[in-house]
Amino acid sequence: MTVSMPNTQREGWPISNDRKLRGLPAFALFLCFSLAATAQETGADFDGIAANAEAARKQGNIEAATQLYAQAVALKPQWQDGWWFLGVLQYQQNEFVPAHDALSHYLELKPEAGAALALRGLCEFETEQYPESLRDLQHGIELGAASQPRNADIVLYHEALLLTRLGRFEEAIGKYSAFVKQGKVNEDLTTGIGLAGLRMSLLPRDVDPQRAPFVAMTGGAAAMIMRSEMDSGREGFEEIFKQFPNAPNVHYFYGYLLFPTDPAAAIGQFKQELAVAPKSAIANGMLGWAYVSQGAYADAMPVAEKAIAEDPSLTVGQLVLGKAMVETDNPSGGIPHLEKVLQSEPENLEAHLTLVKAYSKLGRKDDARHERLTCLDLSRGGTQPRVTP
Amino acid sequence: MLLCGAKLLAQTTQAVTCATCHEAQTSVQPLSQMGQAAELPGHNATLATHEKMSFRSGIYTYTVETRDGQSRYTVTDGTQSITIPIVWALGSQAQTWVLERNGKLFESQVSFYPSINGLAITTGDDQWKPKDLEEAIGRPLIDAEAKACFTCHSTNSLSDGQLNLAKATPGLTCEHCHVGTSAHLAGIMKGDAHTLPPSLGKLSPEDMSNFCGQCHRSWETVVRNHWHGEADVRFQPYRLANSKCFDGSDPRISCVACHDPHKRLVRGSAANYDAKCLACHAPPLPTDAKDAVHGKVCPKAKSDCTSCHMPKVALPNGLMQFSDHEIRVVKTGEPYPN
Repeated sequence: MTVSMPNTQREGWPISNDRKLRGLPAFALFLCFSLAATAQETGADFDGIAANAEAARKQGNIEAATQLYAQAVALKPQWQDGWWFLGVLQYQQNEFVPAHDALSHYLELKPEAGAALALRGLCEFETEQYPESLRDLQHGIELGAASQPRNADIVLYHEALLLTRLGRFEEAIGKYSAFVKQGKVNEDLTTGIGLAGLRMSLLPRDVDPQRAPFVAMTGGAAAMIMRSEMDSGREGFEEIFKQFPNAPNVHYFYGYLLFPTDPAAAIGQFKQELAVAPKSAIANGMLGWAYVSQGAYADAMPVAEKAIAEDPSLTVGQLVLGKAMVETDNPSGGIPHLEKVLQSEPENLEAHLTLVKAYSKLGRKDDARHERLTCLDLSRGGTQPRVTP
Repeated sequence: MLLCGAKLLAQTTQAVTCATCHEAQTSVQPLSQMGQAAELPGHNATLATHEKMSFRSGIYTYTVETRDGQSRYTVTDGTQSITIPIVWALGSQAQTWVLERNGKLFESQVSFYPSINGLAITTGDDQWKPKDLEEAIGRPLIDAEAKACFTCHSTNSLSDGQLNLAKATPGLTCEHCHVGTSAHLAGIMKGDAHTLPPSLGKLSPEDMSNFCGQCHRSWETVVRNHWHGEADVRFQPYRLANSKCFDGSDPRISCVACHDPHKRLVRGSAANYDAKCLACHAPPLPTDAKDAVHGKVCPKAKSDCTSCHMPKVALPNGLMQFSDHEIRVVKTGEPYPN
């Protein structure tokens, strides 16, 4: 008899919407088959139930298999594979709370199981435990849950959704950008990009239908910029500016995307954003950052101060002000701002780099050395781009 | 006195140049490696003395030929070939060519290396695998890369932020580092000596490292880009700042403490630097200030310090080697620290 699993033929992207991402059981089962019950446990009752559970699972009798696995792990709570399959099967049946419970048992027995962490993260996504979901997904990714392309798409897409939902928009944009550069663009992705770029802490399913076209248009234009189709992207954004002239964060997002290749144009966009939303902390912060990148520290300081006045927790505002002060021979003034950055982002490389300079200017050789070594450690954690001659 | 000099200059009928007042620097700087960081046709000694060089990489054969002061770069796959005139040659020793074809700039796939007296794959381009003859020319340079190449190998290559090779001067001249030289000259002509460019000599070692690092790669640049491995031995400001003895506020350990940027670097003479090392790594003298910082004194030797503490490191391609500016006690068999 053929095993019938929903979505087992799915080949990575596209995924039609985030509710339908329960193609993941295919991902999970794909992985779990490699675990294949290796050692049969002792005990007549347990052995029989476990064997029946496996047979039912292989026959696609999901309900029976679920019940049998539940019985088996009740008899032998140390049976790792039992918890794993139970969690997978429950997830497949949209039983996210018990699936979460089963996977948690499995993870107690096998804490470094990346796939299980990712799957538990997806359960948490469905039960709207977003911080926990992101934590588990990212831990799972660290442990290799996204090492296979078909799994990577599902896991990384959810990571981007969660980053957006939790207000970590720039990180989300970075994740989406990776998809776009791989040519993986569809309606869900452009909506996701739009939400992150417009700084809307929502999941695509929660977008007001009246706002959905605006969000998708923004994401679509951004995807073109991410693909280096600058002219098409510009036309896309100009159309949005025309249709939605007072919508906040559109100029900011366009500027953010332009910044790596055209900082001067980005500055223009940030200024236009401030014309639409004068109190935008992020637009002030990024305008300051753009000034810093051009060495215009005196221009950077007042906009960073505005950013901090609006949102003292805004990392980029504190970073810009700290950096501008250090660069304008006020290292003592800059250090507290840089320390604030590190309170919320201990691994912020730019803050550590600037602290090196601040301590160096103050003649605090040992502190500078300590920060320098921290930077080198952080640097080793990244990817290695090409070294040009 | 300076003002008097300026007034005297203002009265002269001769053209005032940098050399008028700074003859000691201007007489030697054009002969330095930085002064010769780029060459144009007719002035390229490397190409003039190597009339024909060839190199084969996979199915592609590269030939660089020079006749009558004109050099041509040819790549062929055996059936078709592309020939491009060489205009810009970058590098005072090893030499890479920036080639222009159909309005686009390319970094030549092969470069000249003195160590083999011939051509080999350009450093850093080992992973560039051309799919066709066009790609075999070399790696296309995006705008920012092209600007970076010419900003460091020539002077005045940018006009309003855009690359303008027609106005570029090959190599580095006074204006390259001393921004404001033209205004200073104009001021001097009018008897105004208050137009001095910012004094680079007053930069702290940290700032000097960043200044030189604009081309030689600053510590921040290397860290921010996650560059690791032996290839980064080329980035002296980065390596120096990694040294345990580096102190961003101590002028005894700075780029210009050891190197006069106006003069040609003399290679292979470790003893030239001993006095610099011993400025710190020597027993205190009675005349030293109380708070003078002294490093450990070497128990092995008192001369040729750099030969042990700044070993030569070859690039991964083995074609060039550099003194490692990460000054340290080198232990036998230890991996390259990075």
